Amino acid sequence: MNINLKIAIAEISGIIRSGVEVQLRKLTGFHFQIIEIDSSERLYEAVRLNKPDILIINPAMAGGHTLHQLREETGNLSMKCMALLYTLTDKNQLRYYDEQITIYDTLDGLKQKLEQFILQETEDDKEDDEQQILSVREKEIVVCVVKGMTNREIADLLYLSTHTIITHRRNIARKLQIHSASGLTVYAIVNKLVELSDIGKL
Amino acid sequence: MYKKKEYRETDKMFDLISGNYSMMLVMSRFGIEPGFDEKTIGEVCRQNKADCRTFLTVVNFLIQKRDTPVENINDCISLEHLIVYLHNAHNYFLKFRLPHLRRKLTEAIKDDCPEDVAFAITKFFDEYVCEVDKHMMYEEKTVFPYVRDLLKGKKNPKYNISIFHKRHDQIELKITELKYLLLKYYPGKGGNWFNSALFDIFSTERDLATHNQIENNLFTPAILELEKQI
Repeated sequence: MNINLKIAIAEISGIIRSGVEVQLRKLTGFHFQIIEIDSSERLYEAVRLNKPDILIINPAMAGGHTLHQLREETGNLSMKCMALLYTLTDKNQLRYYDEQITIYDTLDGLKQKLEQFILQETEDDKEDDEQQILSVREKEIVVCVVKGMTNREIADLLYLSTHTIITHRRNIARKLQIHSASGLTVYAIVNKLVELSDIGKL
Repeated sequence: MYKKKEYRETDKMFDLISGNYSMMLVMSRFGIEPGFDEKTIGEVCRQNKADCRTFLTVVNFLIQKRDTPVENINDCISLEHLIVYLHNAHNYFLKFRLPHLRRKLTEAIKDDCPEDVAFAITKFFDEYVCEVDKHMMYEEKTVFPYVRDLLKGKKNPKYNISIFHKRHDQIELKITELKYLLLKYYPGKGGNWFNSALFDIFSTERDLATHNQIENNLFTPAILELEKQI
C-alpha cells in the first residue's frame, strides 16, 4: 500500500522546487501531496494551513526564526524538518534539523531518508497488521459501545480505568477501520456479537 | 511530472467534457446546459451566463488533481460565483445523490441480507446523511452569509474564516467506512444492485472529497485574502 505524505517544499528558486518535486514523485511506494512555498513571508501561513508531515526547507528561508518557533506557532509540533542544501552551510545552523538532503542526493538516498522518518511512526502499526482480529476484551468493549454505553460506564462494568477503555477503543478503530458507533453496530450484528433486541436505543 | 492539459477559454467545451466526463457535474453546477455544438468554453459560458474565469479555475483545479491552495486566488475566481457553485453542489448531494444512493442501497440489501444487518446498514447510512446535512447547512447558514457580507465590505467581528477551516472535517470519511463495512463484512450474496450501489458509494466518496478540496483550497484561501483587504 502506498504511504501518504504531505510535504512542503520551502525554497525560493522555482527550478529547484520543481526539481525536488519531480524527484519525489519518482519514488515508488509513496503518495505525495506537495505544497510549494516560494517566500519566507508565506512560510508560516502555508505551514499553518496545510500542516505538512515533512517540511523540506532551504535554511536561508527559515531566516531568523527557529524551527522550534515555527512548529509551535503553527501548531504543528510533529512536523519533521529537512534542510535542503546546495551550498556549504554552517554546521551549527543545521543541528536543529531532523535530516538534511542535498541537491546531489541520489533517489535511493532520498528514499532511505524518508523511510526512516516513517519507520519511527509506523512501528506500532506494523504490529497491528499481524493481528487484526479483535481480542476477547475488545469484543466485549465493542458490545458495550454498540449498546450505547459511555466510556465511564464500560470502565465500571469491566473494572478497568477509562484510560484503558480509550486505548482499547483506539485499537479497535485501527484494527477494523471503523470509527463510529453505528459502524461498529453493523460489525457487531454481522459477527453475531449482539442481536438487534440487545440494543435498547434502536 | 506529467501535468494534464490546462484548459482555456478558447478550447472547445465538447473536448473538455468528453475527455473528462466528471466535469459534467461542474458544468451543471455552473448552470451550463448540454448541447454546445462546436462552441468554445468561453462562448458556452457567456451563453449560459456562467462566470468563465471561475469555471476554468475549478475545472483545471480538479483535472490537474491539485491538492494545495491556489496562489493569488482572487485573480482567478469570483467568490459570488463560487458560492453559487458550492450551493448547487450541496443541493446535488443532499437532494439528489444521497437519496438516490439510499434507494439503491435499500434495493441492494432487501433480498439476501439478514434483516437485522440490513436495518443496521440503513441506520448507519441515515446517520451519515444527517452528518452531511449538518456539515453543509453550517456552510449555507453561517459561512456563506458571512462571505456575502464580507463582499459588501461588512466584516462580522465575531467570525473569521479560520473558525470554519478548523472545524471543516473530511465529510467523506464516514462513507469510506461504509465501503469497508460492505466489502469486508457484508453477509449477503451481492449481485447487480449491490455492485451498482457500491460503485455509487465509491464515486460519492470521491466527489465529496473533491468538493472538500475545493472548499479548502479555493474557497477558504479566497476568503482569507478578502479578510486581509477589509
